[in-house]
Amino acid sequence: MTAAPSDLLCELLTQSLLAWRITGEACLVGGGAILISGGCRRVLVKPAPSDLPFRWLVAIDGRERPAISIVAVLRQVRETLDPGYATRRVRIGAFPLVPP
Amino acid sequence: MIEVLILTGFLGSGKTTLLGRLLRQPEFSRTAVIVNEFGEIGLDHDLIEASEDSLIELQTGCLCCKIRSDLAATIHDLLRRRDEGAVVPFTRIVIETSGLADPAPVLQTLMTDAAIAERVVLRGVVTTVDAVNGTATLDREEISAKQAAVADRLLLTKTDLARPQTALMRRLKELNATAPVQIAQHGQIAPRDLLNGCLYDPLTRSLDVRSWLGAEPDAHEHHHGIDTYALVRSEPLRAVTLTLFLEAIAEHCGADLLRLKGIVNILESPERPAVIHGVQHVFHPPSWLPRWPSDDRRSRMIFITRDIPRGWIEALLAALDAEVAAVSRGMPI
Repeated sequence: MTAAPSDLLCELLTQSLLAWRITGEACLVGGGAILISGGCRRVLVKPAPSDLPFRWLVAIDGRERPAISIVAVLRQVRETLDPGYATRRVRIGAFPLVPP
Repeated sequence: MIEVLILTGFLGSGKTTLLGRLLRQPEFSRTAVIVNEFGEIGLDHDLIEASEDSLIELQTGCLCCKIRSDLAATIHDLLRRRDEGAVVPFTRIVIETSGLADPAPVLQTLMTDAAIAERVVLRGVVTTVDAVNGTATLDREEISAKQAAVADRLLLTKTDLARPQTALMRRLKELNATAPVQIAQHGQIAPRDLLNGCLYDPLTRSLDVRSWLGAEPDAHEHHHGIDTYALVRSEPLRAVTLTLFLEAIAEHCGADLLRLKGIVNILESPERPAVIHGVQHVFHPPSWLPRWPSDDRRSRMIFITRDIPRGWIEALLAALDAEVAAVSRGMPI
């Protein structure tokens, strides 16, 4: 059986903390929400209500921001927890679905 | 298409000797050479003797330090002169980097300059490693390790002075498990041996992906934080998943992604696999093979990274795959 996106996102965030060398942890806190603690900051990522055109909501210091995909979640979490991270936003052109 | 071979290797590792001997071989006729030398006054180009149907261009300064436009301008100029008939109609460009150069910006230039990319194709990266001093150099000089890590082919030189030590072979395997290691005898190697296993096969005018990817790395080793690993997947990937995956890697890994190369089974194109190639935050537009090169239809991606845990790459792909699958099925989280 395939793992749920929340479980996989939690694992990704755990691995991300390791990759970014941030001491902390990510854990599921119920309802598919994930609490990430790193440094002195805490970030709560939870599934967006189904009537919103987003997949996730990211709460930082009490303020919620939408994230359209896991890539956007990852960016917001890193910008919050990794002070040395200079956002290097990259857009890969949409991969053609079929060969030209 | 004009093929480009990048010849790199640390100072004194025998690049110029090798190149000089290659250029005397008929297989290397009609070759344009761009020699990049570090320092105000170049010398290496005087040491290279080419046949009359080859030509040598000199660039001074270090490619890794100077803006990449210098190299692009040199290639543009060569192509223009070729078109005008001012130089021999070369069919190959060899770029010999300075021994202190990071080869990644050279690769990026070939990928990012649209006018160059539509006329040239990367044949491969060959890195020379000195059998006498290689181990010490790899230990001491990080750029040397990087040169070895991004190679499609590693070439041991000065083996007439010292037999390749087990420690050196092990170190090279740690740095780049997928690149074959060959031995140059007195600075010589048969051109066909050097060129086999590179990405572009000029005889068939096709991409030789199997040789290019090499054997799957079987170990998880570290040196200067450099690591090589393969991601292998039996299930096809959605094109959107691959796009997001590459985007996240480029954004979060940047310069620590030394090289990524792979063949990918795309769900929407089951009969024609995609070939991907990235260097640091730059990705080449994917090429589509006309068919699978073998019965093995698994996606295989080779990562050469510095301080990027394999677990992060695997977790990223798994999470994106699940999310895109859920979205495509209209499922909530």
